[in-house]
Amino acid sequence: MHAKPSSDAAVIDDVEVTTLLEDGERAVAGDALAPPRTLRWRKWKRDLVWAGLIGLVVWSIDRLDIPLDRLPGILGRMGETLMTRYFPPDIARITQRDYLGSVFETLEMAYLATVVGIVLAIPLAWFASANMSPSKRILYPLSRLAIMACRSVHEMIWTILAVSILGFGMLPGVLALTLFCVGFAGKLFAEAIEAIDQGPVDAMRATGANPLQTFVYAVLPQVRVAWTGTSIYTWDVVFRAATVVGFFGAGGMGWYLRESMQRIASQEVAAIILSIIIVVLIAELFSSWLRGRIARAIA
Amino acid sequence: MSNIALEVRDLCAGYGDRQILKNVSFTVSPDDFFAIIGPSGAGKSTLIRCVNRLVEPTGGSVRLNGEEILDIGQRALRLARRNIGMIFQEFNLIERLSVLDNVLAGRLGHTGTTRSLFRMFRREDIAQALTLLDRVGLTDHVHKRADRLSGGQRQRVGIARALMQNPRLLLVDEPTSALDPKIAREVMGLIREVARERRIPVLCNIHDVKLALDFCSHIIGLQDGVKKFEGRPADLNEKAMHDIYALEVL
Repeated sequence: MHAKPSSDAAVIDDVEVTTLLEDGERAVAGDALAPPRTLRWRKWKRDLVWAGLIGLVVWSIDRLDIPLDRLPGILGRMGETLMTRYFPPDIARITQRDYLGSVFETLEMAYLATVVGIVLAIPLAWFASANMSPSKRILYPLSRLAIMACRSVHEMIWTILAVSILGFGMLPGVLALTLFCVGFAGKLFAEAIEAIDQGPVDAMRATGANPLQTFVYAVLPQVRVAWTGTSIYTWDVVFRAATVVGFFGAGGMGWYLRESMQRIASQEVAAIILSIIIVVLIAELFSSWLRGRIARAIA
Repeated sequence: MSNIALEVRDLCAGYGDRQILKNVSFTVSPDDFFAIIGPSGAGKSTLIRCVNRLVEPTGGSVRLNGEEILDIGQRALRLARRNIGMIFQEFNLIERLSVLDNVLAGRLGHTGTTRSLFRMFRREDIAQALTLLDRVGLTDHVHKRADRLSGGQRQRVGIARALMQNPRLLLVDEPTSALDPKIAREVMGLIREVARERRIPVLCNIHDVKLALDFCSHIIGLQDGVKKFEGRPADLNEKAMHDIYALEVL
């Protein structure tokens, strides 16, 4: 029961909104009700924000002493360095048994970390969802904090921390990737829960179902497809991170990258980087193909 | 057994300053089919949902067969809810589960958590679900997924799910607004029949006055959270209608 604006005021608003639309302004429902003066001020504010953003770019270049005059030749110099030092890539190195083994170790690390991470992320996401959390006062803030903590630390920092505590090897790599996975999947899982239709939840609660039963019957069926897609996507992102964690002392392909770099064996480095790009690409293609297939199969 | 199934006293609900229900009182006997009518925004849906506390009331009393529902803890509330079946406007089925599993979900309050996790419902529950599906005319659709059904069929699943609880009260929230007029009458008729067979009192909120007059034994008129009318369908004269719908701008 809201008051209708008088008809001539509405006409003026319409004119204003149209001119703004021509400017590429997004029309929001609130705009139609705002008087013209507010709209003009909004346009001013928008211009100010743009000016501020561009000013910040100029200021940063100045502060950081970025030598703009050296930019033009940069591509040429990069190509030259690559050709003289990194070409040809030492393909023989990456076909050796130990390196190929490390590719599989990387896959296994990523798989293990994703499975464990997702198992941990499921209850956390449930507790951390604003609409379904079984304990608003305790579990909700705690699990939100846990997911945020996992996300706020970069996966490479997690690796450095894990290596410094657990020593070199596969374990710190898996641990760091697991934490990354909990943060990554946990947030996306919780967002999927927050987007569900509340109707079935009401229906299950009305039968006297407890919170776990309500979750299994009203929430899981609604998020199953989204979660499956997220899980596969998480695996592919974790795998990309797994190719590098070895660089900081955890296991996998990154370990060989570091070792070759320390010997300044540039052609080996080139081959390893090339192999990382290729396996990550394959993982990404595989992941998107699988997500498409599964979405079609269980939708 | 007393002759009062549901007793609502001075029920109030709202958020902050906004009062949605203002001291609503009425009593329902086991054979009654109550319709709650009134303009949209009158608080009909809130009233129904306060009875099983899907919406938390701010004051008053709701007694089902003499037992207070408003001041009990979560666990006791779950036990109380087992006795109150609910049928929804949007059916609120679990789209990806089969019709049978949807009906069995009505039994969750009586099923242990571990059993329900693996959908291992008791043999007698499955037998009852099949009987109920037969009763609502869905024998041919038992193993179909719920989202494959038409609107009328889905509401029949909703009715079977509510009956699966062997409820002592049926709450019905706008059961027909998502259905076309012919199906709406069939669904209302079915609800009335099954309630009579089992002697379950019904509290049904419905915006269609014609349907309320044709299918219900009592009518409550709400306007802006206040009860403006209570009586038999025959008593709902022009003056009463004016009282209920006076504020609505046509």
